[in-house]
Amino acid sequence: MKPLLSIDAVRTAVQQLPDNGLAAARLAALTRLDADGLPTATHEDWKYTDLTRIVDVSNRWLAAGATTMPVADAAVAAITDQFAASWLVIRNGMVDARSIAKFAQSDVRIDLLSASDKALECDAPLSGLNVALLQDGLAIRIPANIEHAGTVGLLFIDHAAADVGVSQARIVIELEGGSAADFIEYHSSTGDAAHYANTVIELRLADGARCNYVRVQDRQAGHDQTGRLTATLGADSRLQHAAFDLGGNLVRNDLDIKLVGRGSATSFSGLYLAGREQHVDNHTRVDHLVGPTHSEQEYRGIAADAARCVWNGKAVVHRGADGTNARQANHNLLLSAAAEIDAKPELEIYADDVKASHGTTIGELDQGALFYLRTRGLDEAAARCLLMRAFAEKIVVRSPLPAIRQTISEKVAERVAALIVGDAK
Amino acid sequence: MLEIKNLNASIGGSEILRGLSLCVRAGEVHAIMGPNGSGKSTLAQVVAGNDAYVVNSGSLLFDGQDLLALEPEERARRGIFLGFQYPVEIPGVNNAYLLKAAFNARRKHAGLSEIDAFEFLKLAKEKMAMLDMDPKFLNRGVNEGFSGGEKKRNEILQMAILEPRLAVLDETDSGLDIDALRAVANGVNALRGPDRAIILVTHYQRLLDYIEPDFVHVLSDGRIVRSGDKSLAPELEEKGYDWLREAANA
Repeated sequence: MKPLLSIDAVRTAVQQLPDNGLAAARLAALTRLDADGLPTATHEDWKYTDLTRIVDVSNRWLAAGATTMPVADAAVAAITDQFAASWLVIRNGMVDARSIAKFAQSDVRIDLLSASDKALECDAPLSGLNVALLQDGLAIRIPANIEHAGTVGLLFIDHAAADVGVSQARIVIELEGGSAADFIEYHSSTGDAAHYANTVIELRLADGARCNYVRVQDRQAGHDQTGRLTATLGADSRLQHAAFDLGGNLVRNDLDIKLVGRGSATSFSGLYLAGREQHVDNHTRVDHLVGPTHSEQEYRGIAADAARCVWNGKAVVHRGADGTNARQANHNLLLSAAAEIDAKPELEIYADDVKASHGTTIGELDQGALFYLRTRGLDEAAARCLLMRAFAEKIVVRSPLPAIRQTISEKVAERVAALIVGDAK
Repeated sequence: MLEIKNLNASIGGSEILRGLSLCVRAGEVHAIMGPNGSGKSTLAQVVAGNDAYVVNSGSLLFDGQDLLALEPEERARRGIFLGFQYPVEIPGVNNAYLLKAAFNARRKHAGLSEIDAFEFLKLAKEKMAMLDMDPKFLNRGVNEGFSGGEKKRNEILQMAILEPRLAVLDETDSGLDIDALRAVANGVNALRGPDRAIILVTHYQRLLDYIEPDFVHVLSDGRIVRSGDKSLAPELEEKGYDWLREAANA
């Protein structure tokens, strides 16, 4: 059975959106959404994540008139001030034009999606919903051979109070040949009413481009998010990616990387720290379409209380992609009997000359190490905290953008401490 | 200082200590010897408070206070230190961080102010020089990738910094080459003093050539079957443990 999103209500909401260059794309996406519906547990990629809650929040939002609330400037500054980056801000799905203006003198070219000629694909289950209800989005371009485009921050911030909220955001990023740029993708929210945010980002690296990319999700406890990043890597290009899921309620991330050019390489990693009744699902997929190409991923997670975490890592080495190297690892700590971890590595290999490996572990905190620390005078909570931080820090230290590691590390420490408190309840 | 009476302890349902009694006064160094499986390590773990071991009966007093009522960290803060036979590797936990946290936990308990990073580093480097340890060990993960000898030196470093009132060293000598053994002995001898006591758990007499004990006890089947002065150790080395076991069973 399809979760029953009210298509008529979506259609009404689409008609109310500003009539900009996206109007035709929205209608096409609506038709697609109507035909496909939203994925259910019978869909292999969605068997761990039930979207009923998201459909419910969306229907309530549509019934209430599909309005958005303003996001306070202070809430924006509270995030942007923490990182040395030039920030593009999307508030409740609306592009903040002032944030674009700041890039006028920089090497980073920015257009509204409605004013660009970008085709907006909706081939993934939630991408149709994303385009249908999209107010506007951003097209970011780093011109060829710009070696130091700097660090671009992408802040997705939402506010929902009194009434539920829903937001759609979309960004297309192109790094032209030989260019280099760094990105921080940050998801935040405020307010106590339910909220659902749906983000789709397309990243295209032309030949020889280099990109460091860090995603942080630190939404309110009651807020849901689905996010999708697709990356296409040209010859000899490099993508280093790290993702940190610290907050939110129901969270689903899809990272989909296609290595299409010879010599392209990607290293990506993720950390998810979940307590309460959080549901955090990370699906990664890397396609080695040619060889030699290289991919390496490591995800780590901690599930406390009644949290459920999912890691599904798929690597596909296509026919002829010889000389490919694909490695994946996933390590988990399960801290309570009510918590759940689903870890699923998938390797599909259709080429001959391939080095591929995967390793997955799910365990508890090492009792021997806990006792050892306690004999040195650390109380049990401090010892547990130290071991959890050490476990999580392995992802912090391997993430790109060394300049922001300290800030990330502090956020991780804060979240670990909160898990300990929740755990003791 | 430490008074153990009729201690019975088991792990996983099997009884290891069967009526062990031992009295250690301030200023003394005691060596506990005995064959494998006699309960030496169990004694060390029970004194430190490992809850994998169940104390069935008997008492364990430290300065007149019931140790069995205290968590491992409370025992540590009162000045009990266990040097592990197999020090645990804790990847990602910085050695200096742990040393400083342990040191400050002890100071805080004693009502003293916490020491700052600069002062601590000075203290740590001083102790490392005494143990002939490379300062680079401070910035590595706790015992992460350390050789057997490095791990044991690291235990002694922790002890030297914490200056415990009672140190229980569980087979600290096993697997050490002669240089490491000397370094470890230097650390232990430097700690000796009228206010402190040391229990050396060892299988061999070798360590006692470098650290002269006041008393030697032989543990067999979970209790002390013979006690004597330092001359008991070479006698054991010569005759083995079997004669004592036979004597005890007779």
